[in-house]
Amino acid sequence: MPRILVIVPFALDADGVRRRQAQLSAVQLAPDSTFVFRPVKAGPSSFMSPHDFALMDVAIFEAGVTAEEDGFDAVCIDTMSDSGMAALRSVLDIPVVSPGRASMLFALTLGSKFSVLAQWDPALYRYRHAVREYGLSAQCASVRSFGIPPDFDALLGGKKETAFPKMLETCMACIEEDGAEVICLGSTTMHEAAAWLAERLPVPLINPGPLTYKLVETMLALGLTHSRAAYPRPVSPELGLLHAMMDGARAYADGSKA
Amino acid sequence: MSDPRPQRSKDLPIYRILVIVPFPMAEEQLALRRAQAAKAGLPPGVELVFRPVRAAPANYSSAADSALAEIGIIAAGAQAGDDGFDAVCIDTMSDSGMAALRAMLPIPVVGPGRVSMLTAAMLGQRFTILMMWDRWRHLYTKTLAETGLGHRCASMRDIGMTPDNRQLLAGKEDAVFPRLLAAARAAVEEDGAEVILLGSTTMHQAHDYLAERLPVPVIDPGPLCYRTALTLLSLGLSHAPAAYPAPLAPLPGMFAAMAAAGRPK
Repeated sequence: MPRILVIVPFALDADGVRRRQAQLSAVQLAPDSTFVFRPVKAGPSSFMSPHDFALMDVAIFEAGVTAEEDGFDAVCIDTMSDSGMAALRSVLDIPVVSPGRASMLFALTLGSKFSVLAQWDPALYRYRHAVREYGLSAQCASVRSFGIPPDFDALLGGKKETAFPKMLETCMACIEEDGAEVICLGSTTMHEAAAWLAERLPVPLINPGPLTYKLVETMLALGLTHSRAAYPRPVSPELGLLHAMMDGARAYADGSKA
Repeated sequence: MSDPRPQRSKDLPIYRILVIVPFPMAEEQLALRRAQAAKAGLPPGVELVFRPVRAAPANYSSAADSALAEIGIIAAGAQAGDDGFDAVCIDTMSDSGMAALRAMLPIPVVGPGRVSMLTAAMLGQRFTILMMWDRWRHLYTKTLAETGLGHRCASMRDIGMTPDNRQLLAGKEDAVFPRLLAAARAAVEEDGAEVILLGSTTMHQAHDYLAERLPVPVIDPGPLCYRTALTLLSLGLSHAPAAYPAPLAPLPGMFAAMAAAGRPK
């Protein structure tokens, strides 16, 4: 009966979390596994600048740091940015899977070049940076955006008529002009379009959230987890500091709203 | 007829540079950090102001530490422009907080990690990073990946000693310096290093000893970082906005609140 923690990278309310949870229905999962979605305490409201990444790293780290003592068998991080992944891997022995690097590498099991579909132009930087840092520049055909600002809470809700055709058109440009053999959806927030796009595209489409759920099942089934050599443990775990900082961030966010 | 050549200004420019020290510390410990300034040979009129962060992890041994370290450094530098500084230097080879501060500030923000690797690549084909302990390896791996310089790094070598980020190498010269020299010699002879990088600004006290005894250049990252800030100011250059996009919703107050909540009690 594996229990898997899914960390939601924004401080969403119950409805917002439910829209994220809907990703579970996109994939057939082992009947006995339980996925628990948990939002962070506070964080950035935009997500396109190194300023935002620094906040989100700490927020996701804190939301998952107690996963083992809370009885979870694995952790998924619900953002293509892989924010917080390295920090969580350094303190947890259970598998921590995040869709960014995983979906690019998984795409390469299906084809030799992938493109990443970004939501809008300000997001392009983040993917290009990630592709370079992961050493996958030669395998990345392109990163293109379909030019509609993201909504991390409502997702694509109400924008099907406008967004889906633009997404399709952009994917086709990746395939026909850039040579993409596989398309990676650039955000778990795009999951509502995945089935619609997959039906219409001539190449495989990676839906990153559901991929992480299956990867976690695979890791658990095979007894695999991240390498301690790549993610060494902190010499002095600063969990008190971590929680204090996030309590400070939440108090600040609550104060700004009031 | 007037002389058509450009005239050198007779007034030396006055620059104030903020140096963010990545651990909270007392004044006498800060003095050990400040000692790096003398090695930079900065002209009169350039003032370095060393400011420790309010909150930090105990050391930089893992990705968990790196995530926390960012917050304190960003909080310490977020207001640098408003505080009248002309540039910011970050006194750690990890370059922690550099990307976020570059996204928040138009003035030059320089971290010694990226600069020292790129400078080493100007001086030779392959460089070795000399470390106190192997727990720092992940810091350099990140910058090597971001800059695409992995193939220029001949090796990373450590001497297996726990660093002291407040007292630095003071009082341990006899134990530490010869071991650093032996590791650096091995890097040159066995790994093909043509340049040696000190892996931390906390190793600056060993620089003269090593530079006098090694047949290759030894880069002292702190002073190089300050000189780089001055070079940028003198040339009117700063980081590329496209490489460090500004946040749509800046939250300097959130960083400040987090650093305040995390300060040592």
